[in-house]
Amino acid sequence: MDQAAPFKKRKGIHGALTLVVIAVALYWGLVVAPPDGYQGEVQRIMYLHLPSILTAYLSYFLVFIGSGMYLWKREKRDDLLAHAAAELGVLFTALTIVEGSIWGRPTWGVWWTWDARLTLTAILLLIYTGYLMLRSLIEDESRAASAAAVLGIIGFLDIPLIHMSVYWWRTLHQPPSILRPDKAPWDNVDPSMLIALTISFAGFLLLYFYLLALRYRVGEMRETIKMRRLEGDA
Amino acid sequence: MGLLKQTSLLLWKDLLLELRRRDSLLTMFFFGALLLFVFQFAFDLAPDKVADMAPGLLWLAFLFTGTLGLAQLFQAERENHCLDALLMSPLEPGALFLAKTTFNVILMLLVELVVMPLFWILFNLSAWNLLPQLFLVTLLGTVGFCVLGTILSAITLKARARELLLPLVLFPLMIPVLLATIRCMENVLRTGAVGDAWPWLRLLLGFDVIFLTLGILIFDWVIES
Amino acid sequence: MRLTVTQLAKAYGFLWALRDVSLDLPPGEFVALLGPNGAGKTTLLKLLAGLITATTGSIQFDGVAVSGDNPQARQRIGFLAPADHLYENLTVRENLQFFTTLYDRHVDPGALDAALDAVNLGRRADEYTGNLSSGMKCRLSIAKWQLLRPGLLLLDEPYGVLDGEGVDLLERFLQSHCAEGHIVIMASHHVSRALKQCSRALILHQGRLSFDEAKRQPWPSFAKAFSEFLPHGESWVS
Repeated sequence: MDQAAPFKKRKGIHGALTLVVIAVALYWGLVVAPPDGYQGEVQRIMYLHLPSILTAYLSYFLVFIGSGMYLWKREKRDDLLAHAAAELGVLFTALTIVEGSIWGRPTWGVWWTWDARLTLTAILLLIYTGYLMLRSLIEDESRAASAAAVLGIIGFLDIPLIHMSVYWWRTLHQPPSILRPDKAPWDNVDPSMLIALTISFAGFLLLYFYLLALRYRVGEMRETIKMRRLEGDA
Repeated sequence: MGLLKQTSLLLWKDLLLELRRRDSLLTMFFFGALLLFVFQFAFDLAPDKVADMAPGLLWLAFLFTGTLGLAQLFQAERENHCLDALLMSPLEPGALFLAKTTFNVILMLLVELVVMPLFWILFNLSAWNLLPQLFLVTLLGTVGFCVLGTILSAITLKARARELLLPLVLFPLMIPVLLATIRCMENVLRTGAVGDAWPWLRLLLGFDVIFLTLGILIFDWVIES
Repeated sequence: MRLTVTQLAKAYGFLWALRDVSLDLPPGEFVALLGPNGAGKTTLLKLLAGLITATTGSIQFDGVAVSGDNPQARQRIGFLAPADHLYENLTVRENLQFFTTLYDRHVDPGALDAALDAVNLGRRADEYTGNLSSGMKCRLSIAKWQLLRPGLLLLDEPYGVLDGEGVDLLERFLQSHCAEGHIVIMASHHVSRALKQCSRALILHQGRLSFDEAKRQPWPSFAKAFSEFLPHGESWVS
């Protein structure tokens, strides 16, 4: 497996780096950074929660790009990217919801609430789970790829519209003229907390791209096996 | 032959076929009316509460009946490989999209024209004068539903468990339309006019325009033999 | 109206269904497209019909590029599937009206009736197509394409659904169609019938064109090329 050797080496370095950064992030977030004035220790989950959701959005953006490129150029690798990104997107979205729920229990006293952020995240989960179901329910591979690509584009374009409608819905009376998600005051935040957040975000990005590359590689290998099988028959 | 002419040719064909078999229309009518009955047993629809719940209940009914229509949308083309015949003709895919979307809008409109007054009668609502406005708002929501629905109906043509998959992928994407339409209708029922629900109406229009344009542009890639 | 195909190739994923196919067909040519199953005949026909787009190479018909994203090019290209491509719940007449309008070939009612009479369907003009037998549907297809008069007409294994009378009707139509200066390309496993009508034969093998010659009598080169696909020991005798 000569052709796999350089990939494995890069993977090894990337993996090691990811572990290191995540370890630092965890240490900083759990030990170094001070607890929040209002929320106390439970606020620390934000060091996971915020990067989770941002990574999920990044993923959906990649699904959009991959889908668009696939419909345009019909190259298999764009389809593989979209598929891998969608799976990771669902994973990180589910993680975000669980983290949000864990944060919510001590803070609000409930496991779930229909506030804008949670609702929005749940909708995203539904959309991209639907994407994965669509892929698995269409037998013909190329048809599944085109169908998924169309859905990938529609889904992403719908996200701002869903954002607006859900936030307006949750802001009782007048819908605001500008889109403004609630809270996140960055002004009076302890710099140590910001550092923790930044390291954590870096760690998540590294982790994300590591998993993405792995998943993409699995997809690639599947294609190669299929091709070899077909050639073997001829 | 222009896009509009091709669209009207296909629409004429679909309307003619529907007039003859009435498969879609009858099942949709019946299902819509049936749901109203079910609502009576499923919810405590006291007279003072029913006006508040009307938009939501109506749209539940429309979502499900509309999905029935979407599942049948390309039925005529599935016989005798007629879809291939269309794809091998000088037909612009955008025209096929517009024709099918318009066709489903017409079907849903006919159902809504019956179900909404029926709701008023069954649940003893008195605001008959507000029906035209409510109807207009519903129309915009219906267009949004049919535009997305037609695209998704086309891409799931050869999928397994299609009847389940279609609502599964469509409903989450429809949430802006649902929220916007229902909020507008609530305002009309409460205040007699759309009033400060105007931003919702704009959102709805935006949704319709964006996805209608998208549909025309990418239907080429959506529909395959 | 010439058909020029230049280095046409079509890949599905990593698999090449068609490779390096080039053709130059003059008007009036009747081409028999032969080859074993999986050779790429259907793929070639779909590419020529503008149903799918080539991976590389080009198709030019009457000076217009033919591909999946150019609907106008399909104006003069037809695909005759004998009992298919007809709406069951439209009447015979309505089907003809629909397709002639779709192809921008506006025909007055008199011409429509004449076309139906020519295939013996005149009395059934207002019957639902779903009520016709498959033989009658074949005749309706012939009437349809007679009215549409495509410069390039494609057929993929038409003989399967035809009865004796249908075969005669189809073959007579195809001959007269070519005589008017149009091109016909027909893929078929009925080699003897195809050869009888054609003016040129193509053999596709594993996606490549292995034989491309105008017909002559006798045709030893064809016999030789074709016998490669026959079971061991058999030989082709026309």
